[in-house]
Amino acid sequence: MRLTKGYDRWVIFFAFALAACGPSQPNDTDSSSVIYITNDVPAGLDYDGAASVIPNSQEGIVNLMDPLIDYAPGETTEEGVGLLNFTSFEGRLAESWSFDEATLTWTFNLRRGVKSCVGNELTADDVIYTFARAKSVSGPSPTGWFLANVASIESFDATVLADENLRGLGDEVKKIDDYTVEIRQSTHNQLFLPALTTFAIRIFDSVEARKHATPSDPWSHDYINNVTAPAFGPYCVERWEKGNEFVLRANPQYYRGVPEIDRVVFKKVPQSSNRFIILRMEQADITKGLTPREFKKLREYDQLQVVGVTGNETLFVHMNFDSPPFDQVKVRQAVAAALPYNWIIKNGYIGQAQIWDGLVPSSYPGGKSTFHDSPEGLDVARQLLAEAGYPEGRGLEVYEDALRLSYPIEKEAILGPIATAIRTALRDIGMPVELDPIPLTQYGDRQLVKKDLPFALVDHEKAIVVDAGYAVQLFFVSSEAGAVNNMVNYRNSRVDDLWTEARAERDSERRYNLVSEIYDYLRDDVVWLPVVEYRTQWATRKGLKGFVWYPDNGIRFADLSYAR
Amino acid sequence: MIWRFTLRRLAVGLVQLSVLIVAVFFLIRLLPADPVSRFVGLNASPEAYALAEQSLGLDLPALEQFEVFLFGDDEEVGLVGGELGTSWVTGSSVNQEIRQYLPVTLELITLSFLIAVGLGVPIGVLGAVNPGGAADKGTLIYGLFAGSQPEFSWGIIFIFVFFVVLGIAPGPLGRLSPLTDPPDFVTGAITIDALLAGRVDIFLEALWYLSLPILTLSFVLSGPIIKMVRENVAQTMNADFMFYGQAAGLPRGILARDALRAAFAPALTLIGILFGFMIGGAVLIESIFSISGLGQYAIRSILAFDYPAIQGVVLTISALTLLIYLAIDVCQALLDPRVSV
Repeated sequence: MRLTKGYDRWVIFFAFALAACGPSQPNDTDSSSVIYITNDVPAGLDYDGAASVIPNSQEGIVNLMDPLIDYAPGETTEEGVGLLNFTSFEGRLAESWSFDEATLTWTFNLRRGVKSCVGNELTADDVIYTFARAKSVSGPSPTGWFLANVASIESFDATVLADENLRGLGDEVKKIDDYTVEIRQSTHNQLFLPALTTFAIRIFDSVEARKHATPSDPWSHDYINNVTAPAFGPYCVERWEKGNEFVLRANPQYYRGVPEIDRVVFKKVPQSSNRFIILRMEQADITKGLTPREFKKLREYDQLQVVGVTGNETLFVHMNFDSPPFDQVKVRQAVAAALPYNWIIKNGYIGQAQIWDGLVPSSYPGGKSTFHDSPEGLDVARQLLAEAGYPEGRGLEVYEDALRLSYPIEKEAILGPIATAIRTALRDIGMPVELDPIPLTQYGDRQLVKKDLPFALVDHEKAIVVDAGYAVQLFFVSSEAGAVNNMVNYRNSRVDDLWTEARAERDSERRYNLVSEIYDYLRDDVVWLPVVEYRTQWATRKGLKGFVWYPDNGIRFADLSYAR
Repeated sequence: MIWRFTLRRLAVGLVQLSVLIVAVFFLIRLLPADPVSRFVGLNASPEAYALAEQSLGLDLPALEQFEVFLFGDDEEVGLVGGELGTSWVTGSSVNQEIRQYLPVTLELITLSFLIAVGLGVPIGVLGAVNPGGAADKGTLIYGLFAGSQPEFSWGIIFIFVFFVVLGIAPGPLGRLSPLTDPPDFVTGAITIDALLAGRVDIFLEALWYLSLPILTLSFVLSGPIIKMVRENVAQTMNADFMFYGQAAGLPRGILARDALRAAFAPALTLIGILFGFMIGGAVLIESIFSISGLGQYAIRSILAFDYPAIQGVVLTISALTLLIYLAIDVCQALLDPRVSV
């Protein structure tokens, strides 16, 4: 449509008026600060608080708090993303450590001269405070206790949750001197060191934290959730407006060297399309959480770069063993055979994914990759369905409720088209599948607590402890044997027994064999149906380098710098 | 007379609010999900679930929870003491969060309404006093055009045209550049706080960043206002007292002013209703322009099943809406004393 001459003049006038009164744009940034646009900013910084389940909060925590140890650096990808060596650890707040097999006791020697944001020096008291706080289970989501439990730290067991009198720290975590701490396990468990690298059990500055304790909140949850997490990490909170902005300033006394990026502004931009255009117009430096199509488009611009890795983000199909017809292995196998894997990779993830051929991310050591070795295709699926007693799908109509494929409605942009393609494929073999997008909270309630979700697409579950055995403990042993998130109600006494044996196994090779045997059962029973591993990606201005992928998928801004 | 009328309406409003408090409290507990799962963390074992349920106070019977909500417990004073509780997502006081988010929305919609009314009323009157003329036709087309698409649609179009294509407007980055330190929080409205801090530069920057969302909202809101004013003024122009005025030889300007006064009451009702609606209804504009207002807070709270925050938002919006309706009634009564009888 052509504008009339008069209207045209008004448009030009308005444009000039806006431009004339507009201050400078945020792309006037220098190389010492970055604007990170994200779908939300941290809602809390307490890893025992309710907000700790939110990845944005975890990202805030890992930039403020350091662990005792972390994984050593590994290879660097062609795109320049650093990987970690999951079989090797190096010290962070701990300079060195040792393990006494006889007493199952770990001794950590703390680094000297480490200063927190307010200038307090790291001592053994900070470690004691951190573990005592975790054991107090005083937050609504006691993640510190949970990971200590996963690591088999003595007396950090489930009785702590039930009995208030067992919540005090005993000598299982003991101060030897100002710079030495001992931690005792109840049993041999190879998850101990991996658990210490996660976003929880990071060490607090106890002197500062205690200053903000109150009689009703002795562990300073309010302060940590609303002001800052006092700690020894690379950044300190400069400003925090929940739901809007979170601004970090480099810790000038950081023991690993002051980060090159001095200031990081997390800015909430909820719409992924807006994050796309803001970065496209160079008014921000980094973003993530775009749709695969948006990432692909950004690759076309010379001034931008998209980097990523196949880390631990996966898509799988959940079929509940307590919900017929999914109680039949042939039905589960039919679904596995019918899925349009290549379509999902090509169109759902625009090529930024690969078939997930196991139940452990391929980047984790110890996983097996034999899931999709069996023949697949619609004819195979029809045959399997017939063998299950539903030729051409006849008889499945009575399971109308179970054949509703659920996924979080918040992920409609990505999962909607994939769910539609799956429905089409399954309808082709006679399964009358309908789609059922539901809110994430309802989804989580049914999946994790009620465990009554019959059929679902899941793309947000990941084992944050890098170990094939951890996933077994978390998802696949029976609830009776202690699984906490066995969302499909899988029960196999042989798997339970094997895990009991593997968990306490000291010999790594033998443990690997035991865990591998477990995964054979899981594959044969189609406990989960792994679909694809999709890439974790970041879009940035060109020249920003140093990205390292961590299992929590949070960016460590201390790793980044601008190429000179 | 007007005082008695106001007090009577206030009393009715309080009864409405009380009913709403009870309804909201129990209705959200009928939602088809258990919020504990959202907060139980990595460990969804029965013991961890029980602990989380206890820490959120959801282990108590519903009536007891209501009692705590109203009268508080050892840690909080409850609604009667003016406290809306603690958000389960952030761990912050809901009062404090609403104090943060509400002024953002009020600032956005107030500025938008000022422009919408400032443009809509004269344009509507202009259309009505020259029926069938060019101004009237233009008014009609503008009114239809502005109302033809929802506000989020116009917002996206404006971002695309002014930010992406022309590059003359700020990006949808909220109320200030992310690199700018905001002025100290006084009212929460950034334009006012900037002026109170003597920071004209931040005041101008805030206006700049708010220009597109305000343009979008005022463009959409001015449509029905123009239409309403035009219709009412046109109707009034045909009233007997206007004919009498014309016959008495009064100038057109005075006639238009009198017609506007008589026609303003229904327009005022519309503006009030729209304003009340927009307190919660600006959510899409807030989302598109990355403005963290009450609408965004409401959506986040609902999706997370954060009961204290949902209750706080609903009660705040309801109380404000009741106050706005009360103000409209009082204005109506002042404009037309027959109303208060």
